[in-house]
Amino acid sequence: MSRLLDRNREIGAFVPQQDDDLIICRCEEITKGEIRRAVHEGMWTLTEVKRFLRAGMGLCQGQTCGRLVKGIVAKELGVRPSELEDTTARCPTRPVEMQVFGNEVHGHE
Amino acid sequence: MKRYELIVIGAGPAGLSAAVEAANAGMSVAVFDENARPGGQLFKQIHKFFGSKEHQAKIRGFRIGQQLLKQAEEAGVEVHLNSVVMGIFDLGEITVQHGDGVCHYKGDSILIATGACENMVPFDGWTLPGVMGAGAAQTMMNLHGVQPGSRVLMVGSGNVGLVVSFQLLQGGVEVAAVIDAAPQIGGYGVHAAKLARIGVPFYLSHTIVKAEGTDHVTGAVIAQVDESFRPIAGTEKHLDVDTVCIAVGLSPMSQLARMAGCEMTEKGGAVPVVDEYGQTSIPGLFVAGDVGGIEEASSAMIGGRIAGAAAARRSGYLPEEEFREKASALKASLGQLHEGMFSPKNKGRRDLTVTDEGYLLSKTLLHHGYLSEEEVAGFPGAAPGKSAGIHPVIECTQNIPCNPCQDACRFGCIRVGDHMTALPAVAENARCVGCGMCVASCPGQAIFLVNDEEEAGTATVTLPYEFLPVPEKGAKGVALGRDGRVVCPAEVVEAKTAGFMDGTVLLTMRVPLEMSMKARFFKTGEGTK
Amino acid sequence: MMRIQKHPILDRIQKGRQVTFSLDGKPMQGYEGEPIAAALLAAGVRVHRYTTKARQPRGIFCAIGRCTDCVMVVDGKPNVRTCVTPLKEGMRVQTQVGISAKKESDDHETI
Repeated sequence: MSRLLDRNREIGAFVPQQDDDLIICRCEEITKGEIRRAVHEGMWTLTEVKRFLRAGMGLCQGQTCGRLVKGIVAKELGVRPSELEDTTARCPTRPVEMQVFGNEVHGHE
Repeated sequence: MKRYELIVIGAGPAGLSAAVEAANAGMSVAVFDENARPGGQLFKQIHKFFGSKEHQAKIRGFRIGQQLLKQAEEAGVEVHLNSVVMGIFDLGEITVQHGDGVCHYKGDSILIATGACENMVPFDGWTLPGVMGAGAAQTMMNLHGVQPGSRVLMVGSGNVGLVVSFQLLQGGVEVAAVIDAAPQIGGYGVHAAKLARIGVPFYLSHTIVKAEGTDHVTGAVIAQVDESFRPIAGTEKHLDVDTVCIAVGLSPMSQLARMAGCEMTEKGGAVPVVDEYGQTSIPGLFVAGDVGGIEEASSAMIGGRIAGAAAARRSGYLPEEEFREKASALKASLGQLHEGMFSPKNKGRRDLTVTDEGYLLSKTLLHHGYLSEEEVAGFPGAAPGKSAGIHPVIECTQNIPCNPCQDACRFGCIRVGDHMTALPAVAENARCVGCGMCVASCPGQAIFLVNDEEEAGTATVTLPYEFLPVPEKGAKGVALGRDGRVVCPAEVVEAKTAGFMDGTVLLTMRVPLEMSMKARFFKTGEGTK
Repeated sequence: MMRIQKHPILDRIQKGRQVTFSLDGKPMQGYEGEPIAAALLAAGVRVHRYTTKARQPRGIFCAIGRCTDCVMVVDGKPNVRTCVTPLKEGMRVQTQVGISAKKESDDHETI
């Protein structure tokens, strides 16, 4: 079974590290330690980590932290970052106010 | 819902080039860009580009951008700014936010040319105001005319870090150091040399450990790293800076491609799988530029043209035969840029020891940013044995696709040859008249004119100068060596320029005779910092 | 940080007319149409906001409207990206704390 699908695979216990309080998700102020702990609490995909912590759900929508979070989660799981499935890309690509989102304009000069 | 034959997302070099190509073939084209200004990163590039004449070598990036915009206008391309493409849907539909409303558009073909965003490396204090991307420093300086800080630590020695560091100096900002966790400089040696001769130190195998300050950066701590890139205790050095720029690479912004459902692969980030013309796994959906894999502006423009031509073929505007010929020529041109020491296939390699010709690659250049005098003399551009009269000394010692020096000299003194990655050589019987065209044309600022005046016991050295204030004739100061250290007193003989040199000044200084192969930069006064 | 008056390579950057705006009630000067962040940086202001959780200072980070670290309260509206929003005469710019404006009576906060 794929190393990522087998949720019974041992990834070792969470070991506190010196840089655990380094901010990774700048928008939501999520630290490296919180991300690493989340993996050990069972969040093995980027989507789960994102929804569990809100890392990547702030104003910049993961533009700055995405790659960093991926690297941290991959390291904790003992896989290469490229093996992790990215979070789903959805419309809107940038944050937009509801009043704008709902304002369909026909024709544009 | 307005329909276009080609919708281009991103008005950077790749997007605009594609739009121009497609529009000239007869297509109705619209380009959407979320920024207030077009051109992507191109308008921030104030250095002269490399490559050959067909790649627009020795032209400054922002001028190439101006030309491209003009072509787009003339070709009838609609460029919509402040327009965020929020989503891409089936059957070529996109939704775009303009101001406070949303519009739908349909494209027979769509080209995603959304570029890349800067990578980050987190460290203690990285969220402090004053820590910013190297691109951010460029934007504030070159687009808005405001210095990003007064003294900068540059983290990253790839071409972005090196080029932006030089631009910071040109903007009147001090650069305290360039550091890189890798054991050697990642970008072109000539870019590093420009910094080294001004006195900017390089610390390889170093990383930033902390940015100090309460409300903003007031200093930085760097430390040496071991083979696993972990800081070594006890090697910490404190730097007096108020700004830290991060230049540790770029990642493609491929969200729209993923949203559309393209088959993806890994190439420095998630990029769509494409055919040889840039078409993704979804027919009619193309990518070009950095979003398909990080390279640089020159390749982005060619890649854009190839995709634009492919879209034109798809819509029936380009007959198959004509398309293949055009695509073939463009791919050959692109191929030329993919050669040499820094080619995509050599990415990350640190085991190269010789140039294609067999010359030993300079270790001091890779580790400290400058060549030693002995090394210079060993290269074909330094004209060993030819010292009578004025002659060029070309300190270009790595295989890079670039040859404006060859075109610059109308007396044929400089030869690169058919493969532009070859090291430039000065002809044996070169009849140099000292016009300085080569000095002004070299994008790497690696050519100097040297004239040994044996009888007078002095020599003149002409160098490219791109700073303000320009030292005046008669100004007394000191000459700096390649490593930025003072080597001797110097006096300015002449400082001249011409329109076509586009801002590069030819500065000639007089130094003691024995310093002619040492003196490489001029500083007014004592030269102390 | 200083405005670059003369650049060795670039032509003089075209700026609009000089306008007055306010930062936390204090009158400031800038050029119409330039990003608010540019006017602030030129005036030596580097702190744009303090974060919600840890009240940490933030300022310009990407300068192209992607990272949202430079957001401030502008004319009463929070989360305005100052690096891509053009300055207008009379704009009321306020340091953002969390998602509200810093009260003008507060002393300058330090951590």
